[in-house]
Amino acid sequence: MFLMTATSLCSSNVYMSDSRRFKSYNKMAGERNPASCYLDERTFQLCCQLFLQHSETIQDGWSWEQIKGTDEGFMKKTVLMPVKPSVLHKQHEYSIQDENMVTDDIQANVEDETAGVQAVCEIHAVLRYEYHVLYSCSYQIPVLYFRASTLDGRPLSLEEVWSNVHPNYRQRLQQGPWDTLTQQEHPLLGQPFFMLHPCRTEEFMKPALDLAQAENKRMNYIVTWLSVVGPVLRLDVPLSYSTEVSAPD
Amino acid sequence: MADDKDVLRDVWFGRIPACFTLSPEETTEREAEPYYLLLPRVSYLTLVTDKVKKHFLRVMKAEDVEEMWLEYEGTPLKWHYPIGVLFDLHASNTALPWNVTVHFKNFPEDDLLHCASNSVIEAHFMSCIKEADALKHKGQVINDMQKKDHKQLWMGLQNDKFDQFWAMNRKLMEYPTEEGGFRYIPFRIYQTMSDRPFIQKLFRPVSPEGHTLTLGDLLKELFPAAICAEGGWHQR
Repeated sequence: MFLMTATSLCSSNVYMSDSRRFKSYNKMAGERNPASCYLDERTFQLCCQLFLQHSETIQDGWSWEQIKGTDEGFMKKTVLMPVKPSVLHKQHEYSIQDENMVTDDIQANVEDETAGVQAVCEIHAVLRYEYHVLYSCSYQIPVLYFRASTLDGRPLSLEEVWSNVHPNYRQRLQQGPWDTLTQQEHPLLGQPFFMLHPCRTEEFMKPALDLAQAENKRMNYIVTWLSVVGPVLRLDVPLSYSTEVSAPD
Repeated sequence: MADDKDVLRDVWFGRIPACFTLSPEETTEREAEPYYLLLPRVSYLTLVTDKVKKHFLRVMKAEDVEEMWLEYEGTPLKWHYPIGVLFDLHASNTALPWNVTVHFKNFPEDDLLHCASNSVIEAHFMSCIKEADALKHKGQVINDMQKKDHKQLWMGLQNDKFDQFWAMNRKLMEYPTEEGGFRYIPFRIYQTMSDRPFIQKLFRPVSPEGHTLTLGDLLKELFPAAICAEGGWHQR
């Protein structure tokens, strides 16, 4: 169906062994089309356009935000998401003695549902998640930014966002919390968002890209990428995107 | 690079005299004296203001204390920008010392990133270094460095050790002229007059015809408003 022949999408894992580095170099040098090693911004925008057309068809709620006076923009979608009240903790427990990393808290909160639960009367709390798909010219790949808040506008803390990461992904991401899911300034809006760090993207994407290339198929990069990273953050990408959205020419 | 050592030292040792005053909105047990501090331009506010925090905590009750945040004339200061950038952006035309207001409540969630510990600052700093190297050397230099080298870079900044820092940073600043130097120049043009916090684009140090380009060329192409019609400079 849809393929983009891409190799390493960004600087790989920081502490690569020599043999792996050598392999990557060879891949880039000869085995694949050098022009498609990375996603250039034009292709990013074309993929998004095709993605958005389908979103319109199935009313999936994505829209394009153009930056006034520039040729830059990003995709955006807002979702209301019911979650178990245990995801929400007491608002930002900041302690003047506590200078430790948050991983200890995450573990405790995952295991003990009743610890620090806000006095919430409903069976489910509803959260508002806003997802943005941006292009990174430094790494030449797309990046997923998002922010989350309760319905009354209270922004979620990093710990609460962690609690809401799909359990299947939590352990893998937890190995390097500061490398994968972090709070960042949105490069176009200047406000605090959370970001799924691009340097881990290759781990998620590589199997999908290798398979598509092996089957000699052209792929819409954004469809494949978002289908892989979206579910980590509870963003659903319906299957019809994979069947209906084409690659740009 | 050796010729530039004086410049490198001047940049590294640049300082901004600041005066920290507790916000009148804070509840105190007694009056707090302002706290004076020389801030390193190349560092980050949350990394160098522990003494400020300790000073004001002395007059406050623990239950009134949440995450400390700083503000200048109503604008929350983004700790993740280098101090020198913050000063130049917000207060460069005002008299010294830089008067900064300290807060311990009502953290501005819509403006500032949280900073729970020094690990957060380290992660942010290293992430900037990695991104810059991705632009300069496709990330090859930073990836070839060992974990202890990365740590040395950070410790050099944290402990204000020029030699320790540059022992590692010189590798990241290697400019192989035979290979065209840096692939792209890592730069950001910060601005206050827009939602967009900074302009960052791909820019090659050498033109297609082979001429080495200057900062002026970069600005002309990407931010012409910075250059006055008369050919002078308008800095922001």
